[in-house]
Amino acid sequence: MNCSTNNPAKRRYMWRLAITMALYIAFLVLAIVIFVHYRPTGPLAWLLAVLPALAIILQIAAFGMYLSEEKDEFMRNLQVQALLWGIGATLSVTVTWGFLENFVHLRHMDLYLVYPLYCVLSGLALGIQHMRYK
Amino acid sequence: MKNRLRVLRAERDWSQADLAQRLEVSRQSVNAIETGKFDPSLPLAFKLARLFETTIEAIFSDEN
Amino acid sequence: MECKTSNPAAKRFMRRNLITMLLYVLSLVLAIGVFLRYHPTGVLAYLLAVLPAIPLTGLLAIFGLYLAEEKDEFQRSIGVQSMLWGIGGTLAVTNIWGFLESFVHLRHLNPSLDAVIFWIFVGISIPFLLRRYR
Repeated sequence: MNCSTNNPAKRRYMWRLAITMALYIAFLVLAIVIFVHYRPTGPLAWLLAVLPALAIILQIAAFGMYLSEEKDEFMRNLQVQALLWGIGATLSVTVTWGFLENFVHLRHMDLYLVYPLYCVLSGLALGIQHMRYK
Repeated sequence: MKNRLRVLRAERDWSQADLAQRLEVSRQSVNAIETGKFDPSLPLAFKLARLFETTIEAIFSDEN
Repeated sequence: MECKTSNPAAKRFMRRNLITMLLYVLSLVLAIGVFLRYHPTGVLAYLLAVLPAIPLTGLLAIFGLYLAEEKDEFQRSIGVQSMLWGIGGTLAVTNIWGFLESFVHLRHLNPSLDAVIFWIFVGISIPFLLRRYR
């Protein structure tokens, strides 16, 4: 990805990405520390556990905003195609893993891994798309 | 969709990057439109027509 | 999406859908039956477990084919947007659930349910997307 960019939509997205990433790390560290030291229970525990997830949701929203703000329709098209391929690949993995869990007792998949998995697979798809449309 | 973008560009001695800058899109977009791999939306087609001081039909030909 | 339609792409989509769902039910019954009676292990067990996952993944491929074949660009645009909201909703849910699993030991959610959650969000998003164009 071009990190030097004069595309305002992309720049705004990178800003939002950085902020939500920082929030995520902060919330995760906070949650882990408090859980290890104070072992909270009840609604407080749930709230702390959900905070990092909320940061991820903000990150997803930031990407959604980028998609709607991107003026270059061809680039947006490429991005959307990559996202769709990412959906296919990610859900294939999770569905297969889920069945293996049930039938042959494969180790549980940690659900919060779905998002990074999706990002990686979509990124791969985007790379392939960019190679097809130099 | 078939188009005369390459010819029109050559007449003004513009590279794909030049045209992309004037349209405020990426060079890959211009290449994709030129090679017929991607059809521009109406607003972008109008932008192109205005830029080359002609009509959309004069640039793009829709062969059924 | 209307159920009676003269749109060839949509008709093909629904027919393929039906066949795939049938294949899924058949393969699931087969896999469960063989597992209960013969308790297979090793490679055979893995293969049997993965068998029902294939038609489920096929559903995604079929929807992708529909999107590619649909000539009506408005319908296609709605289809694409609904998938994006689908994955957005799915990632939100899996993240929240995943963190709750880790921190407060919420019951484990089988990853194959991600696909179900995905289609639910896709379905929910469609009337909202169409609402803008009444």
